[in-house]
Amino acid sequence: MKLLQPSSLEELDAAGPGLLLAGGTDVVPILRNKLIDVDTLVDIRAVVPRGVDGTRIGAGTTLAELEVDPQIPAALREACASAASPQLRAMGTIGGNLRQATRCWYWRMHYPCFLHGGDRCYAQTGVHREHSVFANDRTASAHPSDPAAALLALNARVRTNRRELSISELYRLPTNDNRDVVALDYDEVILDLEVPTPEASTYLKAMDRQKYAFALVGVAAARFGTDVRLGLSGVAPIPWALDSAAGLDDATPLPDNAYKIQIARALIERALEAVG
Amino acid sequence: MSDLIVNGQRYALDAQVGRSLASVLREDIGLIGTKIACNEGHCGACTVLLDGVPTLSCITLVHTVGEREVTTIEGLRDHPLVESFVRADALQCGFCTPGQIVSASALVEANPHPSREEVRHAMAGNICRCGAYPKIEEAVLTWQD
Amino acid sequence: MARLIRTEKEVEGNYTEQWIVVDEDPVAQWPSGPLEIVGRPLARVDGAERARGEAVYTADLQLPGMLHVAVLRSPHAHARVTQLDLARASEAPGVRAVLTPDDLDVLTREPGYPGAAIAAVAADTYDLAAEALELADIEWEVLQPLLDPDEAVQQGSLIDEPERYDRGNVEQGFAEADVVVETEYRTQTVLHNSMETHQSVCQWEGDLLNVYTSTQYIWGVRAETAAKLGLPEDKVRVVCHYMGGGFGAKNHPGEYTFIAAELAKRTGRPVRCALTRREENLTTGNRHATIQRLKVGAKADGTLTALVGDFVMAVGWRGFKSWTAGPMKMLYHCPNVSTVEYGAKVNTGPNAAFRAPGFVEGTFGLECLLDELAAKLEIDPLELRRRNHSDSDLVDDRPYSSKNLIECYRRAEPHWEKRDEVRARSNGPWKHGIGMASQIWFGAGGPPSYAWVRVGSDGRALVVTAMQDIGTGTKTAMAQIAAEELGLPVDRVQVSIGDSARGPYAAISAGSSTTPSMGPAVRAAAHDAARQIIEIAAQRYHKEERVLSLKGGNVVSADGGSWPIEEVTGLLDDAQILGKGARGPNPTGMRVLTFGVQVAEVAVDVETGEVRVDKIVAVHDVGRVINPLGASSQVEGGVIQGLGHTFSEDRLLDPNTGAVLNQTLDAYKMPTIADVPEIVTDLIDVPDEHLTNLGSKGLGEPPIIPTSAAVANAIRDATGADVRSLPISREEMLRALAEAKEKEKTREAPTAV
Repeated sequence: MKLLQPSSLEELDAAGPGLLLAGGTDVVPILRNKLIDVDTLVDIRAVVPRGVDGTRIGAGTTLAELEVDPQIPAALREACASAASPQLRAMGTIGGNLRQATRCWYWRMHYPCFLHGGDRCYAQTGVHREHSVFANDRTASAHPSDPAAALLALNARVRTNRRELSISELYRLPTNDNRDVVALDYDEVILDLEVPTPEASTYLKAMDRQKYAFALVGVAAARFGTDVRLGLSGVAPIPWALDSAAGLDDATPLPDNAYKIQIARALIERALEAVG
Repeated sequence: MSDLIVNGQRYALDAQVGRSLASVLREDIGLIGTKIACNEGHCGACTVLLDGVPTLSCITLVHTVGEREVTTIEGLRDHPLVESFVRADALQCGFCTPGQIVSASALVEANPHPSREEVRHAMAGNICRCGAYPKIEEAVLTWQD
Repeated sequence: MARLIRTEKEVEGNYTEQWIVVDEDPVAQWPSGPLEIVGRPLARVDGAERARGEAVYTADLQLPGMLHVAVLRSPHAHARVTQLDLARASEAPGVRAVLTPDDLDVLTREPGYPGAAIAAVAADTYDLAAEALELADIEWEVLQPLLDPDEAVQQGSLIDEPERYDRGNVEQGFAEADVVVETEYRTQTVLHNSMETHQSVCQWEGDLLNVYTSTQYIWGVRAETAAKLGLPEDKVRVVCHYMGGGFGAKNHPGEYTFIAAELAKRTGRPVRCALTRREENLTTGNRHATIQRLKVGAKADGTLTALVGDFVMAVGWRGFKSWTAGPMKMLYHCPNVSTVEYGAKVNTGPNAAFRAPGFVEGTFGLECLLDELAAKLEIDPLELRRRNHSDSDLVDDRPYSSKNLIECYRRAEPHWEKRDEVRARSNGPWKHGIGMASQIWFGAGGPPSYAWVRVGSDGRALVVTAMQDIGTGTKTAMAQIAAEELGLPVDRVQVSIGDSARGPYAAISAGSSTTPSMGPAVRAAAHDAARQIIEIAAQRYHKEERVLSLKGGNVVSADGGSWPIEEVTGLLDDAQILGKGARGPNPTGMRVLTFGVQVAEVAVDVETGEVRVDKIVAVHDVGRVINPLGASSQVEGGVIQGLGHTFSEDRLLDPNTGAVLNQTLDAYKMPTIADVPEIVTDLIDVPDEHLTNLGSKGLGEPPIIPTSAAVANAIRDATGADVRSLPISREEMLRALAEAKEKEKTREAPTAV
């Protein structure tokens, strides 16, 4: 295996294809378990901005740095603080967090599932208590990122080395032709995020332990004037936007995960109350 | 060939790309205080400091460490936390304990008087299967006694 | 003079007759209460080396030339290997030897569970061994797995004969009952997940095999390994100085030891076989799931008239039925009891003992059932338990050697009485409540167990016994016992353990038996050494032996005079005082058991199903407490594991293939520090006057037993919801709340009409 460590965007472009590595919290286990087969790693830490400047967040900023940064909206701070473990937050970058792979155990155990290019989702007929209640017809994978739900509610924008796009454009439901959930090219690098400042925002999370677990349901709410935006984690293959709790009526739960809808309803109500 | 700085000592790094910091510390340098319990970044037993930041050495590729200083439990043996862990009986089998102390050392360095809630927030990534948690909490709260 | 006697030995409820060698004169028990060193808190004597990362665990051992093993395991729950060729693997870089089922009988061509070992490769590094395995040419015939335990019982797929127990006449008991409650409870499969995975390093020195292993039972590994390899037992040396947790899963050598021994023999090099975390969670044991169909009958005043239990246990491909019916048989004074236990043989990993196997599960069922009965009878749950207290053991019709359960209830009472206060904390969606559950378990320990004590001219003592300390702090307790008996400060007593070639036979660290087995032997050995010191002092200072005693580092004469012990031992020069001690028999014709009660305070968010445990009060009766500090750690650890069992731990199986879906610690969720409630430990600390020279019982297991039932009962108190299935996940909590609401509606309906 080769490790490239470009020191500028130009060097990165010249580096050729490789798997991007920043905090490595997801990439290293995935490599070790051969879920992705690559022979070149590209360490992008030197080329991705790090730190917060007003509403701009460098994609190389760690979750640990964000969870205590007073400049960023509460929803994002709380989402970062409730994510993973202290060490993982200290290592993991916000850019990497947005691109993390599914936690679906079937995918992680190499089942030839839809997301691996196969023709079926094993969770649908298997164990799916932690899986999706929306858009789960092709894959029941649930998107695990807490910050992504917060950024969706906050209507953040993403700048890459190629273009700029909204957070809702960053994610796509996988299709038969393209099984990715992120609408970026393989070697496209998220450089920074532009996060609007709401009047109020919050992130609420239900999980199996008090701390250090992926969201069964995460709900972010952000109020801009009279407009309130909601972003959910753990309920769909991608971070999921809802206009209101009424949107939960359209959920399509699997036999063992309808409980998520009930939790989501309570958390949405509480989040709306919190942001006023 | 690059170097690796561990507990103030510089070591020549001679390892294949892909190897973890934890395996180099343990197997090549012989610093066995850093434990590997899950080897997937889930349990915290392998926690070391990189420039003071608690880091899971089992999922850190050794070639990405660069010039950052690695501090392992061997570099913290004189830290008051060692004494407070023993005094409070904050360990049972002891296999997770070096990682617990490394995590705690980063916390008290940044925040010498943490609250109970801050201890719980900072220590939630170090699994102790024996369940020494109440006394780990006490040891961290009383580390300066 | 040594004496050979025939005695009864009990291990977790099973009695066997055996010969033991005991000392002629047993040592009288110390008076009750804290002594100079025993009964007082002491930080563990091996704490510093563990905390500083200096302690060398099996996982840390690096021997020159050591090879590493990777094991080829079945990805299928049930399959047949139709083709196996390791030719390419054996030629891969760094590979030194391979094993197939033709070479070793712990390897199989017919795996009955995912993770069953098929073949093994030894190579210069683990990575090279693992890469070589990918070159194995293997083909499978995949067979249909049998996963459902009820279905297995119906099909007659059983581990062994069903176990039936009857006393009295349950039909008559139900006829006498004013109230009958019948319910089904379920508990899940839980994984041990010791931080140090199962592993051994094997090294041959001529015809002697050194086994460095992470074990709870040095002598068991020695015996089983010797038997497997056809060696005299003294040709197997087993070493375990420090080990990273066991909880019942490390009582045997395991296939990894045999694989390492065989590969070491073939290569002439030391060989490590260490399991990965994933392998750990597939193959090294588990607390098996249970289905408990229970029925209780009682009179209006709460007197139990009949208890019936039908228990189905998902044992796995191998293993044993945990004693799930135990609490139903043993806890209460019920004259009519009938139980049957089925061990379903299913295509899942073999079970292993896990901290109070069966009693954790059985207590969840029984103690929830008792609370449902209390609700129906409108009797206070604590009062119901008091009314059914048993003054003698009804299973074997024997008296208890000691029992202070009523005292446990009395000490729990002030916490229990806060019920209205706790309920009044309910606020918005958060409902507060309080619950309790009783505990019964074994914990007598037993013979044989031996210790030696060596005192040198410097007046320091070395306790030598080939036991192991699995993290429970027994090494520290032994230092305290020896120091107390020798009248030495504890820092002048050292304890050498962990090596079958250094010291005599010592008990297994399981069944809450280490301290009650080893402690009396250590005390007897220290007593033997102390006697010799006194004999020498009597000659030196011209005193009668009977007026001399050892205290505070001195030889003290009752008629005046005190001399430092080292002044006496200083006479020895290079001579040494050697004491030896043996564990005496358990009291004949008595039942030696541990008892306790826990009270739980919880809060339930009825909208999201979140449950927070605010407080657990743990009151246990385990005889004399040697080290209150270490004992409270044991209690806290047991409660916390119990909370993991109650809320977040659950081995998940794919229903179609039997694959274990959560082998890693992100997906298998053990408690973190943030999940821990306030835990109040209260130990009765009264010696059992019939039990050994210490009066101490074991404490490792009792604290995990009642936790889940106490929590479930507190949830019922808070919300009216009956959680009957572990873990109490969000979905189980919300299901139970919805069911309670439904029940409420149907109860109200007739009045509405």
